[in-house]
Amino acid sequence: MAQIETRGLTRTFGDVRAVDGVDLVVRPGGLTGFVGGNGAGKTTTMRMIMGVLRPDAGQVLWGDRPMTAADRQRFGYMPEERGLYPKQKVAEQLAYLGQLSGMSSAAAKSAVAEHLELFSLGDRAGERVEALSLGNQQRVQIIAALMHGPTALILDEPFSGLDPAAVDAMADILRDRAASGVPVLFSSHQLDLVERLCDSLIVLARGRVVAQGTVETLRAGGPTRYRLVTAGDVGWVRDQRGIHVHDVDGGRALLELIDPGAEQAVLRAAVDRGPVLEFARVVPPLSEIYREVTA
Amino acid sequence: MSTQTTQPSSATEVGQPWLLVARREVATKLVDRSFLVGTLLTLALIIGFVVLQAVLAERTRTYDVVVTSSAQTMADAVARQAPTLDDGIRVTVVPAADDAAAEAAVRADDADAWLTERDGSWLLVAHDEVPSGLEAVTATVVRDAVLTQNADRAGTSVAALTAGTTLESDVLVGDADQRGFAQGMAFALAVLFYMASLIFGMTLANSVVEEKQSRIVEIIATKIPVRHLLAGKIAGNTVLAVGQMALYAAIGLVGLRFTPYSSFLPSVSGALGWFLVFFLLGFLLISCLWAVAGALASRTEDVQSTSTPVTMLLVAIFFGSLLLDGPAQTVLSYVPPASAILMPQRVLEGSAQWWEPLVALGILAVAAGAVVLLAERLYRRSLLQTQGRLSMRQAWSAPE
Repeated sequence: MAQIETRGLTRTFGDVRAVDGVDLVVRPGGLTGFVGGNGAGKTTTMRMIMGVLRPDAGQVLWGDRPMTAADRQRFGYMPEERGLYPKQKVAEQLAYLGQLSGMSSAAAKSAVAEHLELFSLGDRAGERVEALSLGNQQRVQIIAALMHGPTALILDEPFSGLDPAAVDAMADILRDRAASGVPVLFSSHQLDLVERLCDSLIVLARGRVVAQGTVETLRAGGPTRYRLVTAGDVGWVRDQRGIHVHDVDGGRALLELIDPGAEQAVLRAAVDRGPVLEFARVVPPLSEIYREVTA
Repeated sequence: MSTQTTQPSSATEVGQPWLLVARREVATKLVDRSFLVGTLLTLALIIGFVVLQAVLAERTRTYDVVVTSSAQTMADAVARQAPTLDDGIRVTVVPAADDAAAEAAVRADDADAWLTERDGSWLLVAHDEVPSGLEAVTATVVRDAVLTQNADRAGTSVAALTAGTTLESDVLVGDADQRGFAQGMAFALAVLFYMASLIFGMTLANSVVEEKQSRIVEIIATKIPVRHLLAGKIAGNTVLAVGQMALYAAIGLVGLRFTPYSSFLPSVSGALGWFLVFFLLGFLLISCLWAVAGALASRTEDVQSTSTPVTMLLVAIFFGSLLLDGPAQTVLSYVPPASAILMPQRVLEGSAQWWEPLVALGILAVAAGAVVLLAERLYRRSLLQTQGRLSMRQAWSAPE
């Protein structure tokens, strides 16, 4: 499978540069999370990848060549503002969208039936979309993006509006698709979810990519921290070399490593002084990395 | 440039996406209840009108004419000749004993009229109003009978007396009755064109804005070129409009066969052919305008105002087709989209030379082509702008 790549993608609305020279890579076989605050440019970037908006500058590549309309026809796309015909019946509508994606009428019909069952909507096939609950409409929308065996998935906030059980089901499906070798890019505001699901991450702020890579790489770029908890007071750590003391409170201290290996000296010193209750590497949550890179 | 083949085998190329779009437009409309009810209602109106015409034409009225013995012969002649003079009138002769009894019968509404001879002339007496059909039939019979009597007395014949006295009327072009029929037909065509362009145009504009408002257009735009979406929607609506018009026209024409107008049908069939061709092109042109009106709006509520210019144009064409004649009609029969209805009307009325509809059709085709191109640009650029209403100028210069 090919990867999706953008180079110098730029788009201006009036005086506002919504997307400013975005270079990103969505690799096949994994989930790529797309995070950033409101107005960071996620939706505009996704729309340009899908060809709905034309970039002012830059290009979108599919593998090593410019992405074409024929490539995009086979993608699965879920726009930020959901779109379905409210008055058309669920199965008819999905079959129509399947055919627009290049499926034969028969293939589209059987894919619709299969996916409606998969999402426990088999008995709602003959109902109008507007008669479904919002959660079920969201499922129909997801089916519309998945049913034609897409070669890539571009999903704008696919988890918004889903209850926890549906979030888990959706996460399983996305992981499944990614595992089959399809590049999957999805945006989300829920950082804990992105952290749990994603193999790699793209952080956007004010139209620019401020961080990109696997979650481990992003963490590696940040400071390495250790937490020390001892029976006695740990005020003595302030005199240790090669570390920066972030915080001390009675028997607890948060240390930031300056010289690699200095943490071993601190541990030995702590053991010499009495019982050590805890000494552990602190893995910063994604939200913290996010705050740092977007600050 | 790589030639990788990563596409899944289940997918095939969409050969003609606009056909898929057109099919959806038609299929969803054919199961739409309000569309079906509206069509059936209009059909019922047409059938009702035709049946009414046929009944009115077929209806015969029988009059009871009361007479005393002195007028018996004349009354019998009236009764005998009435069906040949007016096939809607039958006369039954009711004998009465004397004038008083005859007058009483009319007064009591037992008879429709009393025919009697008084002071050497004939008198038809009714209760409060002499039925005009009966009066005309009786007057003819009485005049012929008395003329024959008088001629016999003078030793001559009615034929000799009246030779050369009649005035025949004729028109140089066509036939007066036929011209009246053609005018009626022209009016009916103008109404059909106006209704079809308005109803199906509104439908088209609303379905464009429905896609915009529900944002499904963003998904569709990633699947097929927007040009195909526009073409499919217009094709689908044209099929529906022409289908509906053909249905109405067919029912109307079949119905006409049962009315006295049936003899005029062959003379208008050529003009109806022209109407169909002009209707197709005119409808295409106007559909593009409606599609743009829909795309300029962001919500269904906006369509009313974005489509006002199109509605005004249609109203102007409609009244122009009804009221204009002479040079104004001739000039406008070349100006699209008014030519779509004015030229077939002129063909119908027989005031167009054979080459005139061809020229007008050529101009209409060029105009329709130009409007399709302009509309495609406006439609494409306004389709993904969902922040309120757009002006024509904004849509034209909007970035894609």
